[in-house]
Amino acid sequence: MSTDNTAQSGELPTREVTVTVNGEEVTREVEPRLKLSDFLRRECGCRGVRVGCEHGVCGACTVLMDGEGVKSCLTYAVQAEGREVESVEGLSEDGLHPIQESFHEEHALQCGFCTSGFVMATKELLDEDPDPGREDIEHGLADNICRCTGYQNIYEAVERAADKMDGEGDGDKMDGKGDGDKMDGKGDGEVGEGD
Amino acid sequence: MSESGVAPEPDVEAETERDEESFTGRSVRRFEDRRILTGQAEYVHDKAPEGCLEMALVRSVHAHANIVGVDTSAAEAHPDCELVLTVEDLKDEYNPQPCGLHGFQEWSLADGKARFVGEPIAVVVAENRYLAEDVADLVDVEYETLDPVVDGMEAREDEVLVHADYGSNVADNERLTFGDPEGAFEDADHVVEGEYYWGRVSGVPLETAGAVAQYDDEEDAFYVDCNIQLHTLVDDTVFETLGYPPEKVHIDVPPDVGGSFGTKIAIHRYVNLAAMASQQLGGTPVKFVEDRIENLQGGDVHSSERQYEMRLALDDDGTFRGLDVWFVDDFGAFPHYPVNQVLKPLSVLTNAYDVDDVAYEYDLVLTNKTAQTAYRGFGVDPHHYALEMIVDEAARELGMDPTDLRRRNLIDPDQMPYKLPSHNIYDSGDYPAALQRIEEMIDENERCEGGLLDPEVVEQKRQEGKYRGTQPAVLIEPGVSGSDWTDRQRSDREALDDRPRDDVAELPEHFRVELEEDGTVRTWLATDSSGQGHQTLVSQLVADELGVLPSGVEVDYLDSVDAPTEYGSAASRMAVMLSGATVGACDGLVDGLTDLAAAHWGVEAGDVAYRDGAVERVDTGETLSLAELAELDDGTGEEAKTRATYDYPHPATLEEDFDEALRSKYPVYPTAAYGANAPIVEVEVNTGEVDILKFYTVRDCGTMLNPMIVEGQAHGGIAQGIGAALLEEFGYDQDSGQPQAITMFDYLLPSIENVPEIEMDHTVTPSPFTETGAKGVGEGGMIDAPASVASSINRALDPLDVTADRLPFTPDRVRERVRGADEE
Ligand code: FES
Ligand code: FES
Repeated sequence: MSTDNTAQSGELPTREVTVTVNGEEVTREVEPRLKLSDFLRRECGCRGVRVGCEHGVCGACTVLMDGEGVKSCLTYAVQAEGREVESVEGLSEDGLHPIQESFHEEHALQCGFCTSGFVMATKELLDEDPDPGREDIEHGLADNICRCTGYQNIYEAVERAADKMDGEGDGDKMDGKGDGDKMDGKGDGEVGEGD
Repeated sequence: MSESGVAPEPDVEAETERDEESFTGRSVRRFEDRRILTGQAEYVHDKAPEGCLEMALVRSVHAHANIVGVDTSAAEAHPDCELVLTVEDLKDEYNPQPCGLHGFQEWSLADGKARFVGEPIAVVVAENRYLAEDVADLVDVEYETLDPVVDGMEAREDEVLVHADYGSNVADNERLTFGDPEGAFEDADHVVEGEYYWGRVSGVPLETAGAVAQYDDEEDAFYVDCNIQLHTLVDDTVFETLGYPPEKVHIDVPPDVGGSFGTKIAIHRYVNLAAMASQQLGGTPVKFVEDRIENLQGGDVHSSERQYEMRLALDDDGTFRGLDVWFVDDFGAFPHYPVNQVLKPLSVLTNAYDVDDVAYEYDLVLTNKTAQTAYRGFGVDPHHYALEMIVDEAARELGMDPTDLRRRNLIDPDQMPYKLPSHNIYDSGDYPAALQRIEEMIDENERCEGGLLDPEVVEQKRQEGKYRGTQPAVLIEPGVSGSDWTDRQRSDREALDDRPRDDVAELPEHFRVELEEDGTVRTWLATDSSGQGHQTLVSQLVADELGVLPSGVEVDYLDSVDAPTEYGSAASRMAVMLSGATVGACDGLVDGLTDLAAAHWGVEAGDVAYRDGAVERVDTGETLSLAELAELDDGTGEEAKTRATYDYPHPATLEEDFDEALRSKYPVYPTAAYGANAPIVEVEVNTGEVDILKFYTVRDCGTMLNPMIVEGQAHGGIAQGIGAALLEEFGYDQDSGQPQAITMFDYLLPSIENVPEIEMDHTVTPSPFTETGAKGVGEGGMIDAPASVASSINRALDPLDVTADRLPFTPDRVRERVRGADEE
C-alpha cells in the first residue's frame, strides 16, 4: 500500500469517527491515516470494496458518499465523518439490484475484481441520468478500469439496467432493495427523482 | 451481423428447466456472478484469519548495486515490530528458489547484490500493513551502486554482467532450422528485411498478488491461501524453497481470483516469504498483499520485451519461399519459469501462411529489470506482430496489395490437418474463407457510402491530417499446450532427436465427481481459475453427461496436495481439457451407479440403464434417483460407487502425427483457433494519436461450449491487445535503470474510452482432435489484436511511408516517424 504518514513510535494518535455505512451508524476510534477503503473493509465488514491500485486510477474501490462516487482509497476514514457511505453490500437487502442483475445477465464481469466499483459507478450514473447514451456511459465509467471484459458487455449491462429501472422497473427495484430503512429513505428519494 | 454466427445473447439461467437441448453449447449465465456482485466473493485479499499479522518488504531503490550492509536494529527496536528477516536468516534454514534455467541461484531476498529496482531485501512483520511499513522504513540498507545494463541488445555484449558467476547475460540461445532456409533465401527472387520492437508489457490484473500463510507446528506443515496461478504445477517453486516435501506444503487458491492472465504463475517469492515468516513466528498466520507500485515496479510480473530482425524470401508472384526469425527477449534479472515463452511461437511459426523453409533463433538475455512472467499469448503475440510487419514490408517493396499477398500465401483448407515445418499441427480451419468473410464485412459496412472507409470520407479526413485504414489478416491461436516440451531448455537438446516416444510424459487433466447425500453432484477441479467461468462451464458439461440441471452440480477446487501435479489453466487449455475430463469422470460415475442399482435389485448390470439423473430397471420401469443411490452407497461395499476420478490424457498423445514434435520437445498445441481481424484505425498525424474507430473480427474456435464466455474472452483479449499496441509499456531509464511505469498513471491500461465497439462474427470448424470439437480460446484477442492494429496503422499511414515498427505505437513515436518521413 504505501502509507502516507509514518509514525516513528508506537504512540499513534487516533480520532473517533462516525459514519453511516449502508444505513447503519458505525463509530470507531481510528488513526487519521486510515483509508476509507480499509475502514470499510476491516471495520465495517464491507469486503466487497476492492482495492486495485490505492492511487485513484482503477476505480475498484468506488463507493458513494452522500450519493456521489468517491474513490475510497483516496479518502481517509476521518473525512467520512458524519457522511453516508453506500457500498455494493448496501444495494439490495435480498436478491439483486437491477444493476447487479444486468451485469449478471449481460456477462459484464469475469474475474469480478472491478465489479463492485463498476456497479457503484453505474449507480451514480443512472441516478443522475436514467437514460444514458453510449457516450454518457463512456464518460460516466471512464474512471473505472476493467482488465477482463473489454467493456463491451458493460455497455450492454448499463443499458439493460437503465431499461429495468425505468418506469415500472422502479417499483420492483424499491421492493427488492428495502432502501427505505437502509438509507434513511435517501436512496428512494433519488430513485424517485430519476423517473 | 451474425449471419454465419451463433447468437451469443446470454439466454439460459442455470436453474432453467431441462429441455431436449443440451446445456453445452449454450450461453448459460455464470454461477460465479452472484457472490461477486453482492460483495460476498472471498478473494485472497479478503482472508484474515484470527491473529493474522501483515508483512511489508524493504525493496532495492537501485537497479544494480552491491548490498554492503542491512542494518535492522532500529526496525527491531520499534515496539510494533514482530519480525525482520534478511537473506542471512533465509540461508540458515531454506533454499534458493528454483529458476527457469540451470546455473542461476535466486534467494527470495536479495543476496549481496540488488539486480533490479524493487528487488526485496528484507521482510518486516507487524500487526497490520500500516505498522509494518512504519517499521520497514527503519531498515537501513547500505548500497554500493553499479552501472546497470538496461537494454537487451546491449546486454548481449556482456560489458556489465547481471550474474557475474554465470559469465554472460545471454542465459539461453537456440538456432533452429526447418527445411532448407538457406537454399530458399538464395533461390527466391526477393528478400525483404525489417526490424521490429515489442515493448515490455504485461497482464496487470486488477487484483495484485496476495498470500496468507500459516505454519502448523504440530504437523510440521504449511497451509497457504494465495492467488498463484497453476498451483498444482508450480508448487515446486514453493516447497523446494521451503525445503519440505510437496505433501507438507498445502497451497490453496480461492475460487475467486481477480485476474491473472499468466502473470501470477510467478508470485512464488511472496508465498515463500510469508510462509517463512509464519514459521519463524512459530505459526502465527502472516498475510502479504502486494501493493500496485510493488506490482508494477518489482513484482516479477513483466512480460516479453523483444527486438526482432525478420527476413522474408519471396518470389516475383508473391509466393513466400522462406522465413528467418531472429530476436532478443529481455527477461530481466532472473530467468523465471516462462523461459519457454521464447519457444511457443514455433507452434504457429508461419502463422496462417504456407512456408516450408524457416530459420528461428533467439537470445534470451538478462538485464537489470524485474523478471518476466507469463502473459496471455505466451510470446506468440510479438511473433505474430513481427511476422505481419514483414509481410506488410514485402507488399510495399513488391508493390503488391497487402491483402492479395496474404491471400496468395494462406494455407488451404485441403491441407488440413496441416503440419508446420516446426512439427506442430493445425487441426482444422478455412483461412481463405475467414479472410473473405472479414473483407465482406468491411466492404458491406465501411467501404461504402457513409461508412468509416467511404473513399470520399477517407480523402476528406486526410486533408485534416487524419489517416484512416484497415488491414485484414488471419491469425492463429495455438491452444491446449502439452507439458512435456516446456522443459526443453533444461534438457540435453542434442539428445532430443533420438529420444524414444515412450519417454514423453504428458500431464493429463485430473477431475473428480461424487454424489452427495442429497443427490447433489459434487465435482473437483485440479486447477485454479481467475475469472474464466470454469465453475459454470463444468456444471454445464456435467449436467449434460448426467442428465441433471447445472444448478444441481457443485464445483470445487483441490489444493496442491490433494491434486496430482497438473498443468492447469494456462495456454488456452481448459475448454478442451475440462470437457474431456468431465466426460471421462461422468462415464465412470454412471458405471458405478448402474452397478449399485443392479446390485440393489439383484439383477445384471445390463438390466438397468442410467438416464436423466436416475437409474431405471428395464423390466419393471422402477427407478432410483441420485439421492436414493447416494443413500444406497452409504458406506457399504468395497469401493464407493458414487465417486469417480478420471485423468483425461492430453489430446496430442492420442494422435500419432504429433509424435515427432512430442519426442523432440517442440511446442505441441493440438488446436488452432483463428481469427480474421480488421480494426479500423485513424491516425491523427499532428498529435500522433491513434484512434480505433471500430474493431471487426471473425473468429473460429471450433465448438463453443458457452458462446457468451467465448465472446467475453475475445473481448477482453482484444482490449489487452489494443493496450499492447497503443498504450502499455514498462519503460526504463536507460542510464539509471529506474522503472518509469510504477503507477497506473504511467502504465496505461485501456479504459472504456480506449476500447472501440467490437463487431464480432463467428464460424465453427470443430477440432477433429478433441472430445467436443472445442479448441482452446483463452488467449485469442491478445494474440491477434496487436498485429492487426499495427498492420492497419501501416495501411493508414501508407501514403506517408510510415510504419508501426515499434509497439506501443504511442503518440510521440507516431509524430517522430511522421516528422522523419517528412524530412526525407
Ligand atoms: S483502489 Fe482506489 S482507485 Fe484503485
Ligand atoms: S472483471 Fe476482471 S477486472 Fe473487470
